[in-house]
Amino acid sequence: MNDATVIEKLPFRAGDSRARELDELRARARKAPVDAAVAAALAQAYFDTAQARGDPRYIGYADAVVSPFEQQMSADLLVIRGMLRQYRHHFDDALGDFAAAFAQDPERAGAHAWRGAIYLVVAQYEKARKECVALRELQRPVLQGGCNALVQAYTGQLSSAYATLQKTLALARYDDQRLWLLTRLGEVSAWLGQNARAERHYRDALALGRDDGYLLAAWADFLLDNKRPVEVVKLLAGWEASDPLLLRLTEAETLLQVPAAKAHVQALDDRFAAARLRGDTTHRAEEARFQLHLRKNAVLAVQLAAENYKVQKEPRDLRVLLEAALAARDPDAAKPARDWLQSTGFEDTRVRTLAAKTLQLTPAASKPVVKP
Amino acid sequence: MMRQLAIFWVLLFCQMTAWAHKASDSYLVVDVKGSAITAQWDIALRDIDFALGLDRDGNAEITWGELRARQNDLAAWALSRFELTRNGTCLLQFTGLQVDEHTDGGYAVLHLKGVCPGSTGALGLEYRLLFDMDSLHRGLLRLTLDDATHTTVLSPTSGVLWFGTAQASRWEQFIQYLVEGIWHIWIGFDHILFLLSLLLPAVLVLQMRRWQGATSFGMAFREVLWVVTSFTAAHSITLSLSALGLVSLPSRLVETAIALSVVLAAANNLSPVVERRRWLVAFGFGLIHGFGFASVLAELGLPADAFVLSLLGFNVGVELGQMAIVAGFFPVAFLLRNTRFYLSGVFVLGSWLTMLVAMIWLLERAFDLNLFPA
Repeated sequence: MNDATVIEKLPFRAGDSRARELDELRARARKAPVDAAVAAALAQAYFDTAQARGDPRYIGYADAVVSPFEQQMSADLLVIRGMLRQYRHHFDDALGDFAAAFAQDPERAGAHAWRGAIYLVVAQYEKARKECVALRELQRPVLQGGCNALVQAYTGQLSSAYATLQKTLALARYDDQRLWLLTRLGEVSAWLGQNARAERHYRDALALGRDDGYLLAAWADFLLDNKRPVEVVKLLAGWEASDPLLLRLTEAETLLQVPAAKAHVQALDDRFAAARLRGDTTHRAEEARFQLHLRKNAVLAVQLAAENYKVQKEPRDLRVLLEAALAARDPDAAKPARDWLQSTGFEDTRVRTLAAKTLQLTPAASKPVVKP
Repeated sequence: MMRQLAIFWVLLFCQMTAWAHKASDSYLVVDVKGSAITAQWDIALRDIDFALGLDRDGNAEITWGELRARQNDLAAWALSRFELTRNGTCLLQFTGLQVDEHTDGGYAVLHLKGVCPGSTGALGLEYRLLFDMDSLHRGLLRLTLDDATHTTVLSPTSGVLWFGTAQASRWEQFIQYLVEGIWHIWIGFDHILFLLSLLLPAVLVLQMRRWQGATSFGMAFREVLWVVTSFTAAHSITLSLSALGLVSLPSRLVETAIALSVVLAAANNLSPVVERRRWLVAFGFGLIHGFGFASVLAELGLPADAFVLSLLGFNVGVELGQMAIVAGFFPVAFLLRNTRFYLSGVFVLGSWLTMLVAMIWLLERAFDLNLFPA
């Protein structure tokens, strides 16, 4: 090793526009350490960077900027703290912050949107619906449409959800809005069993030409469900840095028995181990899927999926729980998921079939206990 | 304004992309045998760059040369955020630098060596790396202490951790917070001045609108006891409530109210409004002062596993510090109570000075000014 050896690559060059923007905001924050508005701008820029790059370090930076203001939170800071808290799955605290934000500033549509999104994740649909209404009153038709469509989709009205999304798409003015709506249209179509239509929506979304982690993951899942792993490998080559995408890539490679699969399984294993070491439990849904499909450890997978389901109750959380319970021959573990299906009337046939199968299980003779 | 829609999607897709990278961790392996310490500390190069700025040429690549050029800064920065104690503070030295790869990139490997004052007893460890800049940073510690291995995750709420015999460590933790408590009343001039303003007239009685020395020691002593006890009781209540997270007030409001309490207490000496029930004043304002102590304690951090014990330790420390002040002040004040030196010098002039200083604090805190920059 000599002095010129490169030992690390940084996310930004000093001259990059985002690096310059962050530098400028940091300098302003240094000059005015008690200015809540400056702190909010810097924290928001960090949060956006975390989103754009999928890099949680910026969440920690944002949190460190916000925390000195704990005693005198402005509405902006409250919204940002709420976002940081939901990121770490502290949903109750986050809901409190958003409520406090619109107590200070009733016009804050963002706070209502966030609350709606959180209620959807924790399966409190009545409360989510109220946030959608608040968005309508603030005259945010696109936000309201997205909010309503998801409530409909999760409560047994897939066709209405589809119609709402299409209506909202007609109102959408920006590409990022269109991308999200098209992705959701793809998902809803797939749940409805209309694969050709789903594919069309996904392709329209991809044609917008923006890199989006959620879209790539949803499209890869669709391809995997339809036994098209070759396309997944092609789609996700070069996305190994993103763990959810690496997970999907590795699943495809394993199905195709590509030599790269082994190294990727090991890489995922290392990253899950590293997260566990620091007491991080926010990736249990993905880890459950990893254990189930790639490690074939159904017992551990069902434990992880059940833990995850206590916190997050979206369709993909439900699905991994059902699949893991089925593989582990554990009908009891699937009970919360069956209850959810029963109470919401969620219509995805694939998930409904899985749930029915868990009812026909005879429990395995003995249940070994495995700790992660 | 935030981009209206992005907000709503964010939650839905950040569930997926949240951990494309890992959050920041450092890996700290410490080996303590008797008084001798060897340690290896792996710190991510990205974190070092964020704290110290390694990328001199701004090309988004860190080279070995760029790291090596800053190794002394790196060592000074890291060592100022990591402390070991065994019967006193251990002396740590940076002995060598390497680099290594972890799952999420390149790390600087710092080799450390050190000696502690003692070779037995519990080992105290305090870790503060990066917490001021990245509150999600964690230190992953593996400690071998006289052949017993401990592993733990160090976070901003870890405070000082003690390893070794459980009994001793609890006790030492208690003592450590007790010392902190004493220290903070001693450097908290606003608390001391408030207390003294209430105690100055305790050795006096007001007769015909003139202050005179109290006739009996017992009476003066009872007055002091009442004032100190009610001040103590009040600030213990709010300190505990605040530490438990049950009540919280904006710190500027608290600091301003504390300054106001000193102004009023001193003014009351010069032109008495409250004369008999000073203990009530002590109690009322004591509640506010408790919030002031709480913010100090919040900065210090209470360890989750010994929360009550440490809180108690801090409280007891504050009381001990206070009692030391009273024990120093009261006998002297009582002896001098009839002298002109006490009556017009200490009492009147002292009260005026106290009021003046407290007025300045009040202005500074209420309007967020810095009248006398340090």
